[in-house]
Amino acid sequence: MAIETLLIVNKSGGLIYHRNFGEACEKRKKLTSNDYLIIASTLHSILAISGQITPRALKLNQDDIDYTIPYVPGVGMPSSDSSNNSKMSKLGSFKGDDYFKESFTSWNKSGLRQLSTDQFTMFVYQTLTGLKFIAISSSVLPKNNEMETSKNLNLANQIGDNFLRKIYCIYSDYVMKDPLYSLEMPIKSENFDKKVQEMVYNVQ
Amino acid sequence: MSSSAGQQQIKTLKVLGEDVWKNKVEKINSELFTLTYGTIVSQLCQDYDRDFEKINDELYKMGYNIGVRIIEDFLARTALPRCTDFNTTSEVISKVAFKVFLNLTPTIANWSQSNDAFSLIISDNPLSDFVELPIDAMKSLWYSNVYCGVLKGALEMVQLDCDVSFVSDILRGDNQTELRIKLNKVLKDEIPVIED
Repeated sequence: MAIETLLIVNKSGGLIYHRNFGEACEKRKKLTSNDYLIIASTLHSILAISGQITPRALKLNQDDIDYTIPYVPGVGMPSSDSSNNSKMSKLGSFKGDDYFKESFTSWNKSGLRQLSTDQFTMFVYQTLTGLKFIAISSSVLPKNNEMETSKNLNLANQIGDNFLRKIYCIYSDYVMKDPLYSLEMPIKSENFDKKVQEMVYNVQ
Repeated sequence: MSSSAGQQQIKTLKVLGEDVWKNKVEKINSELFTLTYGTIVSQLCQDYDRDFEKINDELYKMGYNIGVRIIEDFLARTALPRCTDFNTTSEVISKVAFKVFLNLTPTIANWSQSNDAFSLIISDNPLSDFVELPIDAMKSLWYSNVYCGVLKGALEMVQLDCDVSFVSDILRGDNQTELRIKLNKVLKDEIPVIED
Protein backbone atom coordinates (compact mmCIF):
# COMPACT_ATOMS: atom_id res chain seq x y z
CA MET A 1 0.00 0.00 0.00
CA ALA A 2 1.97 2.95 -1.25
CA ILE A 3 0.93 6.31 0.14
CA GLU A 4 1.03 9.02 -2.51
CA THR A 5 -0.44 12.01 -0.79
CA LEU A 6 -1.10 13.09 2.76
CA LEU A 7 -3.41 15.97 3.65
CA ILE A 8 -4.28 17.40 7.05
CA VAL A 9 -7.41 19.54 7.32
CA ASN A 10 -8.17 21.59 10.43
CA LYS A 11 -11.55 21.69 12.09
CA SER A 12 -12.73 24.71 10.15
CA GLY A 13 -11.98 23.05 6.83
CA GLY A 14 -8.68 24.70 5.99
CA LEU A 15 -5.75 22.76 4.62
CA ILE A 16 -2.84 22.91 7.04
CA TYR A 17 -0.53 20.34 5.49
CA HIS A 18 -0.13 18.61 2.18
CA ARG A 19 2.63 16.51 0.75
CA ASN A 20 3.09 14.19 -2.21
CA PHE A 21 5.38 11.19 -2.09
CA GLY A 22 7.03 9.05 -4.73
CA GLU A 23 5.68 9.08 -8.25
CA ALA A 24 2.79 11.26 -7.30
CA CYS A 25 5.24 14.13 -6.90
CA GLU A 26 5.60 14.36 -10.65
CA LYS A 27 2.05 13.47 -11.55
CA ARG A 28 0.34 15.92 -9.28
CA LYS A 29 2.57 18.89 -9.91
CA LYS A 30 -0.15 20.20 -12.16
CA LEU A 31 -2.21 21.00 -9.11
CA THR A 32 -1.39 24.34 -7.54
CA SER A 33 -1.48 24.86 -3.81
CA ASN A 34 -4.69 26.74 -4.34
CA ASP A 35 -6.20 23.60 -5.89
CA TYR A 36 -5.22 21.64 -2.83
CA LEU A 37 -6.92 24.20 -0.60
CA ILE A 38 -10.10 23.76 -2.60
CA ILE A 39 -9.84 19.95 -2.49
CA ALA A 40 -9.39 20.08 1.27
CA SER A 41 -12.40 22.24 1.94
CA THR A 42 -14.49 20.20 -0.49
CA LEU A 43 -13.56 17.06 1.41
CA HIS A 44 -14.45 18.83 4.63
CA SER A 45 -17.94 19.55 3.30
CA ILE A 46 -18.39 16.06 1.87
CA LEU A 47 -17.49 14.64 5.25
CA ALA A 48 -20.16 16.76 6.88
CA ILE A 49 -22.76 15.90 4.25
CA SER A 50 -22.03 12.20 4.38
CA GLY A 51 -22.64 12.36 8.12
CA GLN A 52 -26.13 13.70 7.47
CA ILE A 53 -27.29 11.10 4.98
CA THR A 54 -27.02 7.91 6.99
CA PRO A 55 -29.47 5.21 5.82
CA ARG A 56 -32.45 4.93 8.13
CA ALA A 57 -31.86 1.26 8.90
CA LEU A 58 -28.34 2.04 10.05
CA LYS A 59 -29.50 4.88 12.25
CA LEU A 60 -31.83 2.54 14.12
CA ASN A 61 -29.20 -0.13 14.82
CA GLN A 62 -26.31 2.19 15.41
CA ASP A 63 -25.58 0.71 18.83
CA ASP A 64 -24.98 -2.72 17.30
CA ILE A 65 -22.25 -1.55 14.99
CA ASP A 66 -18.73 -2.29 16.10
CA TYR A 67 -16.41 0.62 15.44
CA THR A 68 -13.34 -1.07 16.83
CA ILE A 69 -10.32 -1.02 14.60
CA PRO A 70 -7.89 -3.85 15.27
CA TYR A 71 -4.23 -3.07 15.69
CA VAL A 72 -2.32 -4.04 12.57
CA PRO A 73 1.28 -4.70 13.66
CA GLY A 74 4.09 -2.92 11.97
CA VAL A 75 2.25 -0.44 9.74
CA GLY A 76 4.77 2.24 8.87
CA MET A 77 7.39 0.82 11.22
CA PRO A 78 10.83 -0.30 10.09
CA SER A 79 10.84 -4.07 9.55
CA SER A 80 12.39 -5.78 12.54
CA ASP A 81 14.52 -8.20 10.51
CA SER A 82 16.36 -5.46 8.64
CA SER A 83 20.03 -5.07 9.45
CA ASN A 84 19.81 -1.47 10.64
CA ASN A 85 17.98 -2.54 13.77
CA SER A 86 20.24 -0.52 16.01
CA LYS A 87 19.49 2.60 14.04
CA MET A 88 15.80 2.48 14.87
CA SER A 89 14.86 6.03 15.69
CA LYS A 90 12.96 6.92 18.81
CA LEU A 91 9.26 7.61 18.54
CA GLY A 92 9.28 11.09 20.04
CA SER A 93 7.64 11.00 23.46
CA PHE A 94 6.26 7.52 22.82
CA LYS A 95 7.92 4.59 24.51
CA GLY A 96 8.37 1.20 22.91
CA ASP A 97 8.82 0.06 19.34
CA ASP A 98 5.40 1.14 18.12
CA TYR A 99 3.10 4.05 18.91
CA PHE A 100 0.30 1.81 20.19
CA LYS A 101 -0.36 -1.89 20.37
CA GLU A 102 -4.03 -2.37 21.02
CA SER A 103 -7.19 -2.03 19.01
CA PHE A 104 -8.98 1.30 19.22
CA THR A 105 -12.39 2.81 18.55
CA SER A 106 -12.97 4.93 15.49
CA TRP A 107 -14.20 8.46 16.21
CA ASN A 108 -15.61 8.72 12.73
CA LYS A 109 -18.94 6.95 13.01
CA SER A 110 -21.07 8.19 10.18
CA GLY A 111 -18.81 10.25 7.98
CA LEU A 112 -16.79 9.41 4.89
CA ARG A 113 -14.03 6.98 5.74
CA GLN A 114 -12.89 5.65 2.43
CA LEU A 115 -13.17 6.59 -1.21
CA SER A 116 -12.21 4.02 -3.82
CA THR A 117 -11.63 4.73 -7.48
CA ASP A 118 -9.93 2.94 -10.35
CA GLN A 119 -6.78 4.95 -9.79
CA PHE A 120 -6.44 5.30 -6.05
CA THR A 121 -7.98 4.73 -2.65
CA MET A 122 -8.46 7.55 -0.17
CA PHE A 123 -8.63 7.07 3.60
CA VAL A 124 -10.02 9.60 6.06
CA TYR A 125 -9.32 9.63 9.79
CA GLN A 126 -11.07 12.20 11.91
CA THR A 127 -10.12 12.97 15.49
CA LEU A 128 -12.32 13.96 18.42
CA THR A 129 -11.12 17.54 18.09
CA GLY A 130 -12.27 17.77 14.47
CA LEU A 131 -8.91 17.40 12.79
CA LYS A 132 -8.91 15.31 9.61
CA PHE A 133 -6.04 13.22 8.30
CA ILE A 134 -6.42 12.11 4.70
CA ALA A 135 -4.14 9.66 2.92
CA ILE A 136 -4.33 8.82 -0.76
CA SER A 137 -2.93 5.43 -1.58
CA SER A 138 -2.02 4.21 -5.03
CA SER A 139 -3.22 0.70 -4.32
CA VAL A 140 -6.54 -0.18 -5.90
CA LEU A 141 -8.83 -2.88 -4.66
CA PRO A 142 -9.24 -5.76 -7.13
CA LYS A 143 -12.80 -6.22 -8.31
CA ASN A 144 -13.11 -10.01 -8.36
CA ASN A 145 -16.18 -10.99 -6.47
CA GLU A 146 -18.18 -9.11 -3.92
CA MET A 147 -17.18 -11.13 -0.86
CA GLU A 148 -13.52 -10.78 -1.62
CA THR A 149 -13.83 -7.07 -2.28
CA SER A 150 -15.56 -6.26 0.98
CA LYS A 151 -12.94 -8.26 2.89
CA ASN A 152 -10.12 -6.41 1.15
CA LEU A 153 -11.93 -3.16 1.68
CA ASN A 154 -12.08 -3.81 5.39
CA LEU A 155 -8.45 -4.74 5.71
CA ALA A 156 -7.30 -1.78 3.65
CA ASN A 157 -9.43 0.46 5.83
CA GLN A 158 -7.88 -0.94 9.00
CA ILE A 159 -4.38 -0.43 7.68
CA GLY A 160 -5.36 3.09 6.65
CA ASP A 161 -6.71 3.93 10.09
CA ASN A 162 -3.68 2.42 11.82
CA PHE A 163 -1.36 4.43 9.59
CA LEU A 164 -3.26 7.67 10.06
CA ARG A 165 -3.47 7.30 13.83
CA LYS A 166 0.32 7.07 13.83
CA ILE A 167 0.49 10.23 11.78
CA TYR A 168 -1.77 11.76 14.43
CA CYS A 169 0.73 10.64 17.10
CA ILE A 170 3.55 12.31 15.17
CA TYR A 171 1.40 15.43 14.80
CA SER A 172 0.74 15.52 18.54
CA ASP A 173 4.48 15.38 19.17
CA TYR A 174 6.10 17.51 16.52
CA VAL A 175 3.38 20.02 15.74
CA MET A 176 1.58 20.48 19.06
CA LYS A 177 4.81 20.75 21.01
CA ASP A 178 6.30 23.31 18.67
CA PRO A 179 6.06 26.63 20.52
CA LEU A 180 6.26 28.63 17.31
CA TYR A 181 3.30 26.88 15.73
CA SER A 182 -0.01 28.72 15.99
CA LEU A 183 -3.10 26.55 16.10
CA GLU A 184 -5.09 26.06 12.90
CA MET A 185 -2.29 27.47 10.76
CA PRO A 186 -0.27 25.66 8.08
CA ILE A 187 2.38 23.29 9.42
CA LYS A 188 5.93 24.24 8.56
CA SER A 189 7.90 21.85 10.71
CA GLU A 190 10.92 20.08 9.35
CA ASN A 191 10.91 17.46 12.07
CA PHE A 192 7.32 16.62 11.33
CA ASP A 193 8.10 16.38 7.63
CA LYS A 194 10.98 14.05 8.28
CA LYS A 195 9.03 11.73 10.56
CA VAL A 196 6.08 11.57 8.18
CA GLN A 197 8.37 10.84 5.28
CA GLU A 198 10.05 8.03 7.21
CA MET A 199 6.73 6.45 8.01
CA VAL A 200 5.42 6.72 4.46
CA TYR A 201 8.64 5.21 3.21
CA ASN A 202 8.22 2.29 5.62
CA VAL A 203 4.71 1.65 4.38
CA GLN A 204 5.82 1.38 0.78
CA MET B 1 -25.83 2.33 31.54
CA SER B 2 -26.25 -0.04 34.48
CA SER B 3 -24.07 0.64 37.47
CA SER B 4 -22.13 -2.61 37.10
CA ALA B 5 -21.23 -1.73 33.53
CA GLY B 6 -20.17 1.70 34.75
CA GLN B 7 -18.05 0.09 37.43
CA GLN B 8 -16.48 -2.13 34.80
CA GLN B 9 -15.65 0.83 32.60
CA ILE B 10 -14.10 2.77 35.46
CA LYS B 11 -11.92 -0.19 36.32
CA THR B 12 -10.79 -0.49 32.72
CA LEU B 13 -9.95 3.20 32.67
CA LYS B 14 -7.67 2.69 35.64
CA VAL B 15 -5.94 -0.21 33.93
CA LEU B 16 -5.70 1.76 30.70
CA GLY B 17 -4.17 4.77 32.44
CA GLU B 18 -1.59 2.64 34.17
CA ASP B 19 -0.75 0.75 31.01
CA VAL B 20 -0.30 3.88 28.91
CA TRP B 21 1.80 5.51 31.59
CA LYS B 22 3.95 2.43 32.09
CA ASN B 23 4.52 1.25 28.56
CA LYS B 24 3.75 4.09 26.19
CA VAL B 25 5.20 7.28 27.66
CA GLU B 26 8.80 8.39 27.87
CA LYS B 27 9.75 9.36 31.42
CA ILE B 28 11.87 12.14 32.85
CA ASN B 29 12.87 12.99 36.38
CA SER B 30 9.96 14.87 37.91
CA GLU B 31 12.29 17.19 39.84
CA LEU B 32 13.30 18.75 36.56
CA PHE B 33 9.64 19.47 35.89
CA THR B 34 8.98 20.79 39.41
CA LEU B 35 11.98 23.10 39.34
CA THR B 36 11.23 24.40 35.84
CA TYR B 37 7.73 25.32 36.94
CA GLY B 38 9.17 26.95 40.04
CA THR B 39 11.43 29.12 37.91
CA ILE B 40 8.48 30.24 35.78
CA VAL B 41 6.42 31.25 38.80
CA SER B 42 9.28 33.06 40.45
CA GLN B 43 10.02 34.92 37.22
CA LEU B 44 6.36 35.92 36.99
CA CYS B 45 6.50 37.20 40.57
CA GLN B 46 9.36 39.44 39.53
CA ASP B 47 7.80 40.58 36.27
CA TYR B 48 4.44 41.41 37.81
CA ASP B 49 5.86 43.04 40.90
CA ARG B 50 4.24 40.51 43.21
CA ASP B 51 0.74 41.31 41.99
CA PHE B 52 -0.52 37.81 42.69
CA GLU B 53 -3.93 38.26 41.07
CA LYS B 54 -2.20 39.00 37.79
CA ILE B 55 0.15 36.07 38.27
CA ASN B 56 -2.84 33.76 38.77
CA ASP B 57 -4.33 35.02 35.51
CA GLU B 58 -1.06 34.63 33.68
CA LEU B 59 -0.58 31.05 34.92
CA TYR B 60 -4.15 30.30 33.90
CA LYS B 61 -3.55 31.65 30.41
CA MET B 62 -0.32 29.66 30.08
CA GLY B 63 -2.19 26.56 31.16
CA TYR B 64 -4.95 27.22 28.68
CA ASN B 65 -2.46 27.37 25.83
CA ILE B 66 -0.93 24.11 27.01
CA GLY B 67 -4.35 22.50 27.34
CA VAL B 68 -5.56 23.17 23.82
CA ARG B 69 -2.47 21.39 22.54
CA ILE B 70 -2.01 18.66 25.11
CA ILE B 71 -5.48 17.30 24.34
CA GLU B 72 -4.17 16.12 20.96
CA ASP B 73 -1.32 14.26 22.62
CA PHE B 74 -3.75 12.72 25.08
CA LEU B 75 -6.18 11.58 22.39
CA ALA B 76 -3.47 10.28 20.07
CA ARG B 77 -2.04 8.26 22.93
CA THR B 78 -5.23 6.83 24.39
CA ALA B 79 -7.76 7.00 21.49
CA LEU B 80 -10.54 7.10 24.07
CA PRO B 81 -14.09 7.49 22.71
CA ARG B 82 -16.13 10.60 23.49
CA CYS B 83 -17.38 10.68 27.08
CA THR B 84 -21.08 9.97 27.27
CA ASP B 85 -21.57 11.73 30.60
CA PHE B 86 -19.72 14.01 32.97
CA ASN B 87 -19.13 11.13 35.37
CA THR B 88 -17.00 9.38 32.80
CA THR B 89 -15.21 12.65 32.07
CA SER B 90 -14.21 12.93 35.72
CA GLU B 91 -12.89 9.37 35.75
CA VAL B 92 -10.94 9.90 32.53
CA ILE B 93 -9.36 13.06 33.91
CA SER B 94 -8.27 11.56 37.20
CA LYS B 95 -7.45 7.97 36.21
CA VAL B 96 -6.03 8.46 32.75
CA ALA B 97 -5.03 12.06 32.07
CA PHE B 98 -3.41 12.88 35.42
CA LYS B 99 -1.85 9.42 35.49
CA VAL B 100 -0.34 9.67 32.02
CA PHE B 101 1.08 13.18 32.32
CA LEU B 102 1.82 13.54 36.02
CA ASN B 103 1.75 9.98 37.40
CA LEU B 104 -0.82 10.75 40.05
CA THR B 105 -4.47 9.91 40.50
CA PRO B 106 -6.50 12.65 42.19
CA THR B 107 -9.54 11.58 44.18
CA ILE B 108 -12.91 12.64 42.84
CA ALA B 109 -15.14 14.14 45.52
CA ASN B 110 -17.94 16.58 46.27
CA TRP B 111 -20.27 15.95 43.34
CA SER B 112 -22.88 18.67 43.08
CA GLN B 113 -26.56 17.72 43.31
CA SER B 114 -27.12 18.16 39.61
CA ASN B 115 -24.01 16.13 38.71
CA ASP B 116 -22.43 19.00 36.81
CA ALA B 117 -19.56 19.83 39.13
CA PHE B 118 -16.97 17.83 41.00
CA SER B 119 -13.71 18.33 42.85
CA LEU B 120 -10.34 16.76 42.34
CA ILE B 121 -8.43 16.27 45.57
CA ILE B 122 -4.77 16.35 44.63
CA SER B 123 -2.38 14.83 47.12
CA ASP B 124 1.34 14.83 46.39
CA ASN B 125 1.07 17.62 43.87
CA PRO B 126 4.41 17.41 42.03
CA LEU B 127 4.36 21.14 41.18
CA SER B 128 4.47 22.16 44.81
CA ASP B 129 7.35 19.95 45.95
CA PHE B 130 9.97 22.05 47.75
CA VAL B 131 7.65 25.08 47.79
CA GLU B 132 6.70 27.39 50.65
CA LEU B 133 4.67 30.48 49.88
CA PRO B 134 5.87 33.80 51.33
CA ILE B 135 3.47 35.49 53.74
CA ASP B 136 2.27 38.07 51.23
CA ALA B 137 1.36 35.33 48.72
CA MET B 138 -0.46 33.07 51.19
CA LYS B 139 -3.81 34.79 50.70
CA SER B 140 -3.83 35.45 46.99
CA LEU B 141 -1.54 33.20 44.94
CA TRP B 142 -2.77 29.87 43.59
CA TYR B 143 0.62 28.37 43.00
CA SER B 144 -0.53 25.52 40.72
CA ASN B 145 -3.07 27.59 38.80
CA VAL B 146 -1.60 26.28 35.56
CA TYR B 147 -3.63 23.07 36.13
CA CYS B 148 -6.88 25.04 35.92
CA GLY B 149 -5.94 26.51 32.58
CA VAL B 150 -4.82 23.17 31.19
CA LEU B 151 -8.09 21.49 32.15
CA LYS B 152 -10.15 24.38 30.83
CA GLY B 153 -8.34 24.41 27.49
CA ALA B 154 -8.32 20.66 27.00
CA LEU B 155 -12.00 20.22 27.89
CA GLU B 156 -12.95 23.07 25.61
CA MET B 157 -11.33 21.31 22.67
CA VAL B 158 -13.64 18.34 23.19
CA GLN B 159 -16.63 20.71 23.35
CA LEU B 160 -17.05 20.79 27.13
CA ASP B 161 -17.30 24.36 28.36
CA CYS B 162 -16.20 24.27 32.00
CA ASP B 163 -15.20 26.58 34.84
CA VAL B 164 -12.09 25.35 36.58
CA SER B 165 -10.61 26.88 39.72
CA PHE B 166 -8.83 26.05 42.95
CA VAL B 167 -10.84 25.92 46.15
CA SER B 168 -8.03 25.20 48.58
CA ASP B 169 -4.33 24.49 48.54
CA ILE B 170 -2.04 22.88 51.08
CA LEU B 171 0.49 25.61 50.31
CA ARG B 172 -1.98 28.19 51.64
CA GLY B 173 -2.36 26.30 54.90
CA ASP B 174 -5.53 24.39 53.96
CA ASN B 175 -5.62 20.71 54.78
CA GLN B 176 -5.98 19.53 51.20
CA THR B 177 -5.52 20.73 47.64
CA GLU B 178 -8.89 20.87 45.97
CA LEU B 179 -9.62 21.79 42.38
CA ARG B 180 -13.22 22.38 41.29
CA ILE B 181 -14.50 21.65 37.79
CA LYS B 182 -17.96 22.87 36.84
CA LEU B 183 -19.59 22.05 33.52
CA ASN B 184 -21.34 25.06 32.02
CA LYS B 185 -22.59 23.39 28.91
CA VAL B 186 -21.75 20.96 26.16
CA LEU B 187 -21.08 22.91 22.98
CA LYS B 188 -23.32 20.73 20.82
CA ASP B 189 -23.03 22.88 17.71
CA GLU B 190 -19.34 22.30 17.48
CA ILE B 191 -19.40 18.52 17.70
CA PRO B 192 -18.59 17.19 14.23
CA VAL B 193 -21.75 15.76 12.66
CA ILE B 194 -20.09 12.52 11.74
CA GLU B 195 -20.28 11.30 15.30
CA ASP B 196 -24.04 10.96 15.78
